[in-house]
Amino acid sequence: MALISSILALRRDARILKLPPYLSALCIIVGVVWLLVLPLNEYSRNTYVSENALLPGQVHTYFTGSEHNIFRAYRHEVAGLVDKPLEEKTQKLGDILQSSGLKVATQKYEYHSSGRTISGQNVYAILQGPRADATEAIVLIGAWTNMDGVVNHSGVALVLTLARYFKRWSLWSKDIIFLIAGDSTAGPQAWVDAYHDSHSPASIEPLSIKSGALQGAIAIDYPAGPWGHRFDKLHIVYDGVNGQLPNLDLFNTAVSIASGQMGISCTLQRMWKHDDSYQERLQTMLRGMISQGLGHASGPHSSFIPYHVDAITLQTVGDGWHDEMSLGRTVESLFRSLNNLLEHLHQSFFFYLLMQANRFVSIGTYLPSAMLIAVNFTITSIALWVQSGRPKQDPTPTSTDKIPSKTDMVAVKQDNMIALIPEASLAVIERSLFLPLAFVSSAHFLGLAPLYIFNNIPEAVLTPAFHTITALTLLLPHLTAYTLSLFHRPSRQETTLIQCLSLLLVGMFLSALATLNFSLSFLVGICAAPLTFVRPIFPPPASGGSAASSTFVAKNRIPLSLAMSALLSVVNPMVIIVGATRYWGADIVDVLVQAAEGWHVWGLWTQVVVWLVWWPAWFAGAVVVAGSVFAVPETETGKAKT
Amino acid sequence: MAVDTQKTLLFCAAAAVRLLLFTVFPSLPSLLGGRVEISTPVTSFKTLQEGLFLYSHNVSPYDGGVYHQAPLLLPLFSLLPNPSIYPFATNLLYTVIDLLGANSLMQIAESCQSTSPRLFTSPRKDLRWSNIAIGASFLFNPLTIATCIARPTSALANFFILTSIAKAVQGASITSVLALSFASYISLHPVLLFPPVLILCYDVRATQLKMAPSPLKFAFIHISGLVIALSALLCLSFLLTGSWEFLAATYGVRLLLPDLTPNVGLWWYFFTEMFDSFREFFLGVFWLHMASYVGGLMFRLRRQPLFVIATLLGIFAIFQPYPSIADTALYLAFVPLYRHVFPLMQYSFLASSTLLYASFLGPAFYYLWIYAGSGNANFFYAITLVWSLGLSVIVGDSLYAVLRDEWEVERPEMRGKEVRRIV
Repeated sequence: MALISSILALRRDARILKLPPYLSALCIIVGVVWLLVLPLNEYSRNTYVSENALLPGQVHTYFTGSEHNIFRAYRHEVAGLVDKPLEEKTQKLGDILQSSGLKVATQKYEYHSSGRTISGQNVYAILQGPRADATEAIVLIGAWTNMDGVVNHSGVALVLTLARYFKRWSLWSKDIIFLIAGDSTAGPQAWVDAYHDSHSPASIEPLSIKSGALQGAIAIDYPAGPWGHRFDKLHIVYDGVNGQLPNLDLFNTAVSIASGQMGISCTLQRMWKHDDSYQERLQTMLRGMISQGLGHASGPHSSFIPYHVDAITLQTVGDGWHDEMSLGRTVESLFRSLNNLLEHLHQSFFFYLLMQANRFVSIGTYLPSAMLIAVNFTITSIALWVQSGRPKQDPTPTSTDKIPSKTDMVAVKQDNMIALIPEASLAVIERSLFLPLAFVSSAHFLGLAPLYIFNNIPEAVLTPAFHTITALTLLLPHLTAYTLSLFHRPSRQETTLIQCLSLLLVGMFLSALATLNFSLSFLVGICAAPLTFVRPIFPPPASGGSAASSTFVAKNRIPLSLAMSALLSVVNPMVIIVGATRYWGADIVDVLVQAAEGWHVWGLWTQVVVWLVWWPAWFAGAVVVAGSVFAVPETETGKAKT
Repeated sequence: MAVDTQKTLLFCAAAAVRLLLFTVFPSLPSLLGGRVEISTPVTSFKTLQEGLFLYSHNVSPYDGGVYHQAPLLLPLFSLLPNPSIYPFATNLLYTVIDLLGANSLMQIAESCQSTSPRLFTSPRKDLRWSNIAIGASFLFNPLTIATCIARPTSALANFFILTSIAKAVQGASITSVLALSFASYISLHPVLLFPPVLILCYDVRATQLKMAPSPLKFAFIHISGLVIALSALLCLSFLLTGSWEFLAATYGVRLLLPDLTPNVGLWWYFFTEMFDSFREFFLGVFWLHMASYVGGLMFRLRRQPLFVIATLLGIFAIFQPYPSIADTALYLAFVPLYRHVFPLMQYSFLASSTLLYASFLGPAFYYLWIYAGSGNANFFYAITLVWSLGLSVIVGDSLYAVLRDEWEVERPEMRGKEVRRIV
């Protein structure tokens, strides 16, 4: 009790109240520095396969010789189908799979987003494992077109060859599903949704044949044309939708088989050259974080991960001496490893940041960095809460002889020490919470408007809509502040409370988000960090005398507020989105179309975070700052009570 | 008249919000009904459907081993059209239950039992919120709305508890006991509220009659009333189902905790981890712990029986075997009645932030555990601990504030002073 009451007494110490901005800044700095030291050898670890059953690279692979002729034949068959109508293509691919002795089925799908129609057809075949009881299955995916829209000639041909080849083995103890998806994002999504019966039956056909629970999925992206192309490296793509990642064991197995058994070097996050220096590790990690933060589908495997099916895409890159047979043997060995699994992949990490094909940091090491960023908002919020409960202080006298002699002092005695404290610093005034609560909750509801608009308007009007909403976003805080000032609201205390509640919510959302999607939480946290440090500048009370209005801040109230408003405008979500797309050379309409497709097809949540967490927080902060421009001096004083 | 208009407006708005949510998002009830935070094995609307199906096919509803709710709910709900085809009637029923509960709450607020009961008048009694504000804080509490949309039967129990207390503060003690026996019949633990409700009835009757009735006689009449009402309900259930097996399937499940589905409470994790040989012992300890608050609070807060009830509801929301946010919503409905002691509460910001954080982190961690497969049970349990901590802070802090309020009547010179331990 004594400890609690001394802590309670401490919160009234004026020095404590000065501390939080510095503490918040410290949290942010430590959070960022924390992230920057992760690539060092002392903080990251070498990857290792922790699931014993996988035994990567322990089997001899037999995918050679005459299979090569079959592969070339299939590649020409595939090349002949490129310009054929959808039905004929599906029919032909189904026939090829059927001729290998597999059960074949097809699935039509159709999605609508941004006024476009995404439609196609999936073909898939099931190999019933000779030693399996149809309770578990692994998937081999070859999407007809890859993420860049290029026809995946050799990838599809390799899937067809492997289907024929795998069928002859008697050692499969899991079913194998060969999926030739219509495209790289919507097709696998439609298929995996229908596999788990969570599709919308109106536009997506149900699957006519199914197998057991999916244990893993491997996608092949090898767009070499009918005459082949030798590649240099394997690019392993592992990001799932909403930043979920596959179990690290799957990634490690792929790396260990490709580089250890086949001698193909592996790369990730489009780092074509990687000589394991600090800069390159950091760059890989940051690219991984941005990709995870955006949460978009990065390959045909991405749709599988939300269903707790670990999946990766193997993409061939560069000019080298590895041919399709090495890739085929890699996939064969990978499937033999997955075939060994006794239970779902669970041993290794689900939350990690990779900085090179065999170097990673796990969640325990990196999570504090995002949490520190989130905590900085909470610290300031608590400080503002305490500040809002303090009675308004008299303007600081300029010289000591002006100390009013009649200040009420209270004697506080503790542990034989007596201190005289001005009564005012002990009193807590009543907080009027209604307006702040209503304001903050309506700001968060207001975010629903852009969320709805961007996800539902057609592509043609996206550009004008984006510019209109950007302009509105920049103007709205000033308009709101002006409108509120007409009613002489919000008062000083209400302004503080608006900022307090808004920061409290941001801190809460970001710390919850950090557990789901670390990178998004970190990126939004960094972009929203200035909101912690802006403060409204209140006009001195009308009756306050000349001493108060002669300080620098009071004299330059309006220019300072305008400067803060301008600073906030720069970190506005819309401005940052525009800046980021310019920096990476992307087109804003493409980004918005992708986001809408993500919303309707993949179940992407990134825009919910942007519009319902980040945007309202920025809006509340901007209104608080803009309020100082329009604020009029107050005359009434807060009621003090015990 | 103005108050009546406000009340009508409030009720219309609350009903509109609920019916709108029901109509605009038809999948919301089943989504929320499947959340472990709202529906427990003993209150879930889905298992009620299961029981109803068996009952309407003349099979004992307890045969499937899924239905653990009171038998008399079955004829009540079988009167309504099938909720999977015509959900409107059921939705309307739950909306009306919420509104009636809010009405009772406003009657409780009107009686001023929270600020000036018979034996005590708070020095801060003028600091209170209007009845409309108190009703609104219940009706527009997101937890209440979520409960109403998910349609667990704990909403019914909450309604009976509120009615019982409202009747008690009006002096209708027999009706109050009757309503409490309905609540106890549905969810067992409200029977622990009987002693404070009895005292509340006694105090109100003593005020109304200007002279205190004989305590023994008063207690005897009401205890027999409770026993008769409960036995009548149980006999009726026996007649309905034709056997006594419902006792084991309903109260047995609440007492012995065979179903360890996760919920926001503290029991499930503890009992999944426990060796079977200690199970009975700890069941006894946990129940005894929860029940033991009744006696202590009643002695210490004899002068404020309504606050004893409110605090007990908070304790039930934390420590009962199958708690859900419906219980929290009921407790939080009573907190605004004690507006006058808010200035004395020291941790209100801490407690409300804790609850806010927990209510967002809870579903996130549950998702990581169940759906993403990348977390485990400890994640969710950690958050339920935080949730319970937040609630206990509110319970403890309000208790402190009320005691301090009482103390300042005796020691007016200590107003506004910091508490310090005197060694």
